[in-house]
Amino acid sequence: MLELRGVTVPGRQRPRLRAVSLRLEPGERVALLGRSGAGKSTLLAVANGLITPAEGGVSWFGAPASQQPLQRRRQQARIGTLWQDLRLVDELSVQQNLNAGCLARWSWRQILLNLFSAQESEACCRALARVELEASLLVQPLGRLSGGQRQRVAIARLLRQNAQLLLADEPLAQLDPPLARRLLHLVLDLGQSPRALLLSLHRPDLVEGFDRVVGLRQGELVFDKPPTSLSTEDLHQLYASSGPS
Amino acid sequence: MTPAGQMLIPALVLLPLLWLLPGAVHGGGLALLLQFWLAALQPSLDPHLLLTALRGIGVTLAIALWSWFLSLLLGFAGGLLSSVAVSQRLWRCTWPALLIRRLLAFPRSLHELLWGLILLQLMGLQTGVAVLAIALPYGALVARVMADQLDALPLQPIEALSTAGAPAWAALFTAFLPPLWPQVLSYGGYRLECALRSATLLGVFGLGGIGADLRLSLQSLQFHEVWTSLWCLAVVMLLLEGTVRWLQRRWHQPLGSVGQRGLELLLLALLLVLLLIPSAQLMELRWQELFSGWHWPASLPLWDGAGWIQPWLPLIGTTLLLTLLSALLALAITPWVLLLLCPWRGCRPLLQLLGLLARLLPPPLTALLLLFVLKPGLLPAVLALGLHNAGILGRLLLEGLDAQDQRASEALRLAGAGPRRSLLVAGFNTVARSYLSFGAYRADVILRESVVVGLVGAGGLGVLLLESLSSFAWIEVVPVLVVYAALTLIGESAADAYRSRLLSGPLPLEGLNQAVRS
Repeated sequence: MLELRGVTVPGRQRPRLRAVSLRLEPGERVALLGRSGAGKSTLLAVANGLITPAEGGVSWFGAPASQQPLQRRRQQARIGTLWQDLRLVDELSVQQNLNAGCLARWSWRQILLNLFSAQESEACCRALARVELEASLLVQPLGRLSGGQRQRVAIARLLRQNAQLLLADEPLAQLDPPLARRLLHLVLDLGQSPRALLLSLHRPDLVEGFDRVVGLRQGELVFDKPPTSLSTEDLHQLYASSGPS
Repeated sequence: MTPAGQMLIPALVLLPLLWLLPGAVHGGGLALLLQFWLAALQPSLDPHLLLTALRGIGVTLAIALWSWFLSLLLGFAGGLLSSVAVSQRLWRCTWPALLIRRLLAFPRSLHELLWGLILLQLMGLQTGVAVLAIALPYGALVARVMADQLDALPLQPIEALSTAGAPAWAALFTAFLPPLWPQVLSYGGYRLECALRSATLLGVFGLGGIGADLRLSLQSLQFHEVWTSLWCLAVVMLLLEGTVRWLQRRWHQPLGSVGQRGLELLLLALLLVLLLIPSAQLMELRWQELFSGWHWPASLPLWDGAGWIQPWLPLIGTTLLLTLLSALLALAITPWVLLLLCPWRGCRPLLQLLGLLARLLPPPLTALLLLFVLKPGLLPAVLALGLHNAGILGRLLLEGLDAQDQRASEALRLAGAGPRRSLLVAGFNTVARSYLSFGAYRADVILRESVVVGLVGAGGLGVLLLESLSSFAWIEVVPVLVVYAALTLIGESAADAYRSRLLSGPLPLEGLNQAVRS
């Protein structure tokens, strides 16, 4: 579903990613661990096509990431990203935000109508129900929602997008522990086969539901193993302070 | 210095003005001036005259509506094309946007009156000239403001949609349009008010509408007739301002259901199109004729050295002095009158009435009125421009003070501070930055407007340009046009730099209430 081969992304002082190779199969749920600045967000940005690596290659769904715009957009339409800052449009309603996930497959008429009237309400209701939100929120402006509700709307947008590869950049940061656990279960549930999930985390205590854990340190892949075989040494290697990170 | 102190400092401009005053007064027309103001209470109600005034206002409104509509179309297109963020998304490079931005600087740099005179020479006398004369500079201005706003929007939502495979245009529409809508609508409303003022002004210079009636009545000293037109214009202006304010308030509030704002916008657009058709008939706008009979000058002596030899220093100096004095006067009046009279209950209504009258009278007519008591020269020009812009700035200040959180003022009043002190400390300090910022923008407008008070002998570049254009002296027109445009663009950059330093962030759309409310 996703393959990174020897990906290198240069940075100012040291490479943000150095020869990183990673492979995700359908149904796999992979946690990405590392300190701040280890390269987790960069890796996810390479994975969703926001950053083109200076060296190495990216494949999506068994085909190399296309440079041809239309083809590339078709590939990217199957990749959904849950951003740390959510990147929703505050001025739109919840329903319009959910439908923004459909832009890649919608016609121009539907895209414009979405700005003026309620589109595909039933599908939006189903997406909201999946993230345990009331259908009455559909008409609310996004700005009126709490932080937790906004996070769920962002996840529901991925459902509307019908993304097969889910990428999530620190979605649990700034959430209180009970809410973080509930949200993690929700995302893990969504990441089941035929989808795949790559999620970056700060906290190693939350990795138990994942199939694999990948450790990044200073832009390099340190380990890639199941969570059951994750040792204290692995974590020490990842989080021990040596040099700037 | 506190922000409130900076609001009061411009009053120092009264010192040079008072120094100039004794030499400028002739007093011969004091009785006439008195008659003019008394006639305000007894406007002529002759049915024939009323009908003429209504028709004149109809034509002015039609010119304003058409020029505003065209300027928004031009502005939207120009704004999208000159936005660096949009260019980066669509074409993966920024040079087309930067090039278009530079090209748009020229139409923006000339006042609509100058455009009117240039187009008049090229197209002949027809109402379409006034429409284009307003639409061209306004369109370029809207384009710049829109591009600035687009470039100040966060890029993260658009990035999120793009990486999810959305086409570039669809991502732009969905992520950029909604946050831009309320601002564009507010700004659009403000430009409609400006278009009405500009259409009236162009009428004063013979380009149709109520302005022509006003000038004729004033020059023939028919003050009762002048006031018939002025009161009609006041009603229209107040109605327009009220409607625009109402719509702005409505569109800044979140609405109940999905797309409600979009539907309202569609209905409004439909209403506008329905209004445009009778408007075109009323002012006898014929696009085919407008573009068919162009009269190009036989030769444009661009490089003729004679035209470039002008007394540039005094010309530029006079233009800058006129601008500076007028802008300071415009800034000084309302805060000081408010501060001096605020304990009196009638202070606000009085200021609102005076502000309306100041906005109502186009600066050249105020200048003509001032000639009843003053000799031609710099002073009547400064007073005319200063008073007119004080009316515009004053309205914003009053609205800003009304809209701000009143709790700080209340706390000071309850602690024994009088109304003046609480206004100075809690009121002025809160709105000062926005007020001064809008003042800087008006100074930029005044620099362009300096051309319209030329008829009272103010001098300066604009006046020379006006005279060269009127007398077909093309040998002078091109060099003065180039220098005048360069000066206004430098003025614009200086005003922008001051405003962004004052507000330390992206510039708000000029003229908006939220500029004061923020």
